[in-house]
Amino acid sequence: MPRGLVGLVGANGAGKTTLFRLLLGLARPTEGAVEVCGRAVAADPVGSRARLGYMPEHDCLPLDQSAADVVATLGELSGLPPRAARQRASEILDLVGLDEARFRPVGGFSTGMRQRVKLAQALVADPELALLDEPTAGLDPTGREEMLALVARLASFGISVLLATHLLDDVARVCDHVVMLDAGRLVVAGPTETLLRQTGKLTVEVNAGVGRLARALADRSLTVVADGPFRDDEGGSVDVVVGTDPGPVLDTIRDVLADLGLPLHRLSSRAGSLDEAFTLGGTLDGSGGAGPGGWGP
Amino acid sequence: MSARGAVYDRGYRPYDGPRGGRAASVLALYKASVRRAVGLRRSWRQKFLPLGLLAVVSVPAAVNVGIGYATRNSPLEGFSFFTYREYVGVSSALLLFVAVCAPDVVCPERRQRVLPVIFARPLTGTDYVAAKLGAIFSLVFAFSLLPQVLLYVGQTLVSKDGSLHYVSQHADVLWKVPVAVAALALYYAALSLAVSSLTARRLVAGASVFGLVIISSVVAHILNEAGALGGRGPLFNLLSLPLVVRDLVFLGHVYPQSPLAGVAGAGALAVVGYVVVVAVSVAVLLWRYRWAER
Repeated sequence: MPRGLVGLVGANGAGKTTLFRLLLGLARPTEGAVEVCGRAVAADPVGSRARLGYMPEHDCLPLDQSAADVVATLGELSGLPPRAARQRASEILDLVGLDEARFRPVGGFSTGMRQRVKLAQALVADPELALLDEPTAGLDPTGREEMLALVARLASFGISVLLATHLLDDVARVCDHVVMLDAGRLVVAGPTETLLRQTGKLTVEVNAGVGRLARALADRSLTVVADGPFRDDEGGSVDVVVGTDPGPVLDTIRDVLADLGLPLHRLSSRAGSLDEAFTLGGTLDGSGGAGPGGWGP
Repeated sequence: MSARGAVYDRGYRPYDGPRGGRAASVLALYKASVRRAVGLRRSWRQKFLPLGLLAVVSVPAAVNVGIGYATRNSPLEGFSFFTYREYVGVSSALLLFVAVCAPDVVCPERRQRVLPVIFARPLTGTDYVAAKLGAIFSLVFAFSLLPQVLLYVGQTLVSKDGSLHYVSQHADVLWKVPVAVAALALYYAALSLAVSSLTARRLVAGASVFGLVIISSVVAHILNEAGALGGRGPLFNLLSLPLVVRDLVFLGHVYPQSPLAGVAGAGALAVVGYVVVVAVSVAVLLWRYRWAER
């Protein structure tokens, strides 16, 4: 995976948390090898953990300690000297917006404040890579916006982020790259921009012969998305995935309509979405613009 | 001239200072555990029980020294309620202390699911066990040693024959007490942490530590009285087993008035029993935190 903000997307049980455990060296892969920040995890799980920050999805904070104590202690556990850990804890809690509340026990914090403390403990040791598991879980819309804004800033601090979530919208807004998992398998991976562009659609609506149109478009190697079976003699619309270059697709649609002699009622375009990318999965080419190392299962 | 405010965005400063390795992480966990157990950086309620118990076990030493001072010119000079050997392992207080402290350093981390963020740091399950064991060992050691130090210093100062004479007469205490106290501390730390690691609830853990030791004591006593253990009852009594080891340190043999006095090889059997209890306890701890090693 490239540096920067990477979204790890999948439904519950897709394997996001398991992947985090593999990256942290807390689980072993049944096959293959895991490398994090240039280190082979199997060879040195402890060393590879030293430069990672981890924010679990679930509650993970000692409730009877102050936020400053929690973050400083966990900073020390990451190898920071005590004084540096306390100073870093203060700075990071300030950064996440808990400057005044940091001396209060975590048990009295709201869900949003606890999420911020969880993020702070993941960042306190200045990790190369932060593994954030559902950071917006349980937050109200305002809290979610603020958390996403915080996450979006991390790349500018030189911290790469792997953001696990089932909320595709969060990923589309924050992440430069996306990795989609389903039942432990890679569905598709690539730059967010590329996936969104590839899943953009053209809606072709005709007054009659929508079934024939769909078949003809599919015969010309276009990806046609249909909600159900078409009837040859009826009117209706078909969605055609545009891909990276809409020009040839538009040409093909024009030719097919002309060949079949169908009356075009409407032609409109729709922006792509990660939902579509997840649905289309392996039919997409996510490798565009991935940079050195590229993408791959 | 009007005052103008300013907003400074300090942003994020990367950390480029020194970083410790596993040893630093273990030391940090050790210190955090000690702080937690004695209630530092916590409310006074958390401090009350451990520090209160320390005060309670120090009272006999203070009273002994006080009487020694008050009677230093009378025939009662040299009066002592108890010997150093007897004062090592004031078992009920020690037991209560570990039943309070040991659950407090392991149970909340399991109950509040702090372990995943701890093990996302550069340390292993074995490191975790070492830090926790070290923390409780240190506390029990200090808890047991401080009253002894108070007693020794006090007796030295009030001795009618002079401090130097007292020290020369009791020089052996200077190594026997720390060794015996260390043996007790290791035993209670391992046993209490192993029991505490089996549950996420502090109260259950504390009651289990207390109950296990007391029940073993009662059962061993009953079976011994019934003749089922051939006089070896104290070896199966988790409360008295470390005290037999203590006697071995102070006397070189089992205490003559002990029920074990007539049992052949009682001293060796006691050492074996001690080692078995400590080894099984450590094995349980390593097993409970083995998931971080996978």
